[in-house]
Amino acid sequence: MLNDFFFRIRHLLRRNVAEGELEQELRFHRERQLEKYLKSGLEEAEALRRLRMSFGGHDQVKEECRDSWGTRWLETLLQDLRYGSRVLRKSPGFSVVALVTLALGIGANTAIFSILYAILLRPLPYKDASRLIVLRETTPRVGAVSVSYPDFLDWRTLNTTFSEMAAVNNVGFNLAGIDQPENVSGQAVSANFLSMLGMRPLLGRDFDAAEDKAGSAAVVLLSYALWQSHFRGDRNVIGQTISLDGRAFTIIGVLPPEFRWTEKTDLLEPIGVWVANHASSSQYRGERGDMAALGRLAPQVSFERGQAQMRGIAARLANAYPDTNGQFGVTLEPIRDTFVSGIRPAVILLFVAVTFVLLIACANVANLFLMRGAGRSREIALRMAIGASRGRVIVQMLAESLILTSLGGLAGLALAVVAIRGLTRLMPLEMLAGANIGLSAPALLFTAAVVLLSAFLFGLAPAGRPAKADLQLELKDGGRTGSGGASQARWRLLLVVAEISLALVLLVGAGLMMQSLFRLLSVDAGIRTEHVLTMQIDLRTAQYDKDPAKLNFWDGLLAAVAQLPGVRATALGTGLPLTDDHSRTDITIDGMDPPKPGSYPHPDIHIVSPAYIKALGLRLMQGRTFSDGDNEHAPKVAIINSLAARQLFSRRNPLGGRFHFGQIADKNAPEWLTVVGVVGDTKLYGLANPSRLEVYVPFHQFVPNSMKLIVKSAAEPSSLTSGVRSAIASLDKDQPLFDIETMDQYVRDSVSTRRITFFLLGCFSALSLVLAGVGIYGVISYSVAQRLREIGIRVALGAQASDVLQLVMTQGAKIAMAGVLTGIAASFCLTRLMTKLLFSVSSADPLTFAAVAAAILLTALLACYIPARRALRADPVTTLRCE
Amino acid sequence: MHEQRIDMPQGTVDLLILRILTLGSQHGWGISERVQQMSDDRLCIQQGSLYPALHRLERRGWIKAHWGASENNRRAKYYELSKSGRRQLELETAYWNKLTAAMAQVLGTA
Repeated sequence: MLNDFFFRIRHLLRRNVAEGELEQELRFHRERQLEKYLKSGLEEAEALRRLRMSFGGHDQVKEECRDSWGTRWLETLLQDLRYGSRVLRKSPGFSVVALVTLALGIGANTAIFSILYAILLRPLPYKDASRLIVLRETTPRVGAVSVSYPDFLDWRTLNTTFSEMAAVNNVGFNLAGIDQPENVSGQAVSANFLSMLGMRPLLGRDFDAAEDKAGSAAVVLLSYALWQSHFRGDRNVIGQTISLDGRAFTIIGVLPPEFRWTEKTDLLEPIGVWVANHASSSQYRGERGDMAALGRLAPQVSFERGQAQMRGIAARLANAYPDTNGQFGVTLEPIRDTFVSGIRPAVILLFVAVTFVLLIACANVANLFLMRGAGRSREIALRMAIGASRGRVIVQMLAESLILTSLGGLAGLALAVVAIRGLTRLMPLEMLAGANIGLSAPALLFTAAVVLLSAFLFGLAPAGRPAKADLQLELKDGGRTGSGGASQARWRLLLVVAEISLALVLLVGAGLMMQSLFRLLSVDAGIRTEHVLTMQIDLRTAQYDKDPAKLNFWDGLLAAVAQLPGVRATALGTGLPLTDDHSRTDITIDGMDPPKPGSYPHPDIHIVSPAYIKALGLRLMQGRTFSDGDNEHAPKVAIINSLAARQLFSRRNPLGGRFHFGQIADKNAPEWLTVVGVVGDTKLYGLANPSRLEVYVPFHQFVPNSMKLIVKSAAEPSSLTSGVRSAIASLDKDQPLFDIETMDQYVRDSVSTRRITFFLLGCFSALSLVLAGVGIYGVISYSVAQRLREIGIRVALGAQASDVLQLVMTQGAKIAMAGVLTGIAASFCLTRLMTKLLFSVSSADPLTFAAVAAAILLTALLACYIPARRALRADPVTTLRCE
Repeated sequence: MHEQRIDMPQGTVDLLILRILTLGSQHGWGISERVQQMSDDRLCIQQGSLYPALHRLERRGWIKAHWGASENNRRAKYYELSKSGRRQLELETAYWNKLTAAMAQVLGTA
């Protein structure tokens, strides 16, 4: 094998030496043979004659020797490549357009497919991940909510369809004592959690079953990232302690780097430790904090059977505990869906869009090569007529395709690498769903294969054809009607019409997204977001167990931050509009008819400092805001939003009205709150979501552990961060602050998935518009070239410039109209898929459709105009003589 | 003389070349001479098949080529059998013997 290879290389690279040696070797043979003949007594003339006879053709022998060198095919290929590149250089227009189309087609598609693959298709790093199910409770009013721990315990014992179940409860910690104090997030999990995922700690040990019980030792598993960043990957970390919420936790292990969960996870603690620290809430069935259940379906149990049984169990619990479980059901979701739940519609939309771009690119490449082949049918006919075999012609066409496609492929690869890097930076974190994104080889291979195949297939079309047609006819034709005949013309038209309609669908999609985005951003959120900085502070250590300590900290913080230069207003609040982290509870209005369980008013509750309303710019509609007088000694008061005022106090003046938290039966002597003010509605759960019932209460009367600090400043607020940090450090040096973000950022984040979807759709549709323009340009300019003679005759017979222009433009307009009509029909069907992403615009919005159709027609006419000008300039004398 | 010549079936040229080269290194003309001699002039390798075969065998690594001085002191390309060539010769000879024996048996009983 090796010998063979070196032999070929030697004969290929040292071609001249090999040729010389061959000549010398054959000459030697001839001379010896001649000597032999002469020695045997032949006349010289006769000897030479015999020699020639026995030797056969000298050159033929040499040819056959060269064949046995095994370098023939390579040489031919090199020759073809040289010829091919010469031909391509001579038609730069075609080459550049083909290259750009290939590069964009392959590059853009590989990038998007890679990202989608990483997010949606790449297997999760779990054992048998398709059997892993996330279970949550549901209520008709809110949808999926967290699971209460007693419910989880009952689920686990009552079910027979899951081989295992684990509780996963999201927890936050204040981590102190390493660098700056900071907030880390983790999960409190059942001991079987990791083994259920099919994972083992990289270092140290997993939790054991005893650690499911309350009162077990405080231990943690660190995530690989936290281990690297805070312990520099030190293997001696096992057995050391870290301070979480002021308590010492022993590190018992490190998670493997491939560990991934649906939420950011810096560490794991045993559920037993969590239960001990949340004694009341973990035992109260009505407390649904932040827990999900993870189940592994038993072998041979279908998702449906598991779901049916769990629903039955939830119904039994609802019967047994009507107060806490009356309205609650259960919902099951494969874990893959949990990872991508919020972004699935956007990702699928992009998937469809990018497939369209791929199709357009293929159609364009096919069209280019078809046209090119048609233009060369005469050359090919000539080659075949003078003896080139069909195989030889095919190889030659392939060589040209090979040059173009490999250059285009390389450019596409480079583009993909750049695009992936750029896009992942642009994409919101939630959209990436924690996936590791890199160039995906399958994606690259797939797109490259599709695009290149279309180039090769259609590149070959001209070589295949002249066999059927009569070569003589082709040659006689002089390439004039050598357009490739009716069938090829039909193909080209079909491709262009398809391109235009696909481009139209994409443009409609982008147009609808753009309208949604603009309408969304102009929604009145009910707040003023300029120059507002927010950050989260959680008081978690034991020193803040009692209300006075908490109030002391919060009051001190407000006073210290208010002293910072440039601060206009300082406030605290448990929630912020446009985020989705809010708590809700049932309330009972004074004098209302007792509602059925589950139909109580269920507003979002905000615990706020007096300046909250001013700092966020809420509108006061009625009554007053809170003051420092609304403290722990004063009667309890509340502010409600307009929606609550309308719905809960429909015919009455809400001011002075009373309500209490919880349901009527909850307490014998309820603590009444008196409504003192009404403020405007805010877009609590994001701009696209409807307003909800909201209740504000003063923080001195309901003291929370964790709040957002809200600072309204005169100028750009992010410069305040360090001042706030030192203000907090002066109060408690171990207290972290986190989630530092301006309100403007929250607004941007709340539309980020829509924005990136719009951005990508916009890019795709611009790209497709250009490609479709190139497509129609190609077809029309080709047809003009074919009809130059006809046009020449027309002009000779007296046609005016406008007639010629009309002739060409009409043809273009017909193609464009066909594309637009099919495109509109396709859009009507397809845009329905994106309804979930749209906001206050119909998926069949006539304005968008009309604008897009106009844009496409305009582009098409523009693309036709260039070849039409060429037709105008055609001199009838030249074109006719040219024949 | 021409009537006595036997047309050579495909592949036999390679076998003959390898066999001749067991006698020592030889150039192309020498090989064709030896074939003629050893077959009492019944076999003759045409140059048109001799040289392509030599180059093919060299590419496969069964024979090695080097330039040397001929009997009459001219530069000539000599071929010699390589180790793998020797093995190949054994294989092909065994195969040939089996083939001819089988052919003879069939033809003899026919």
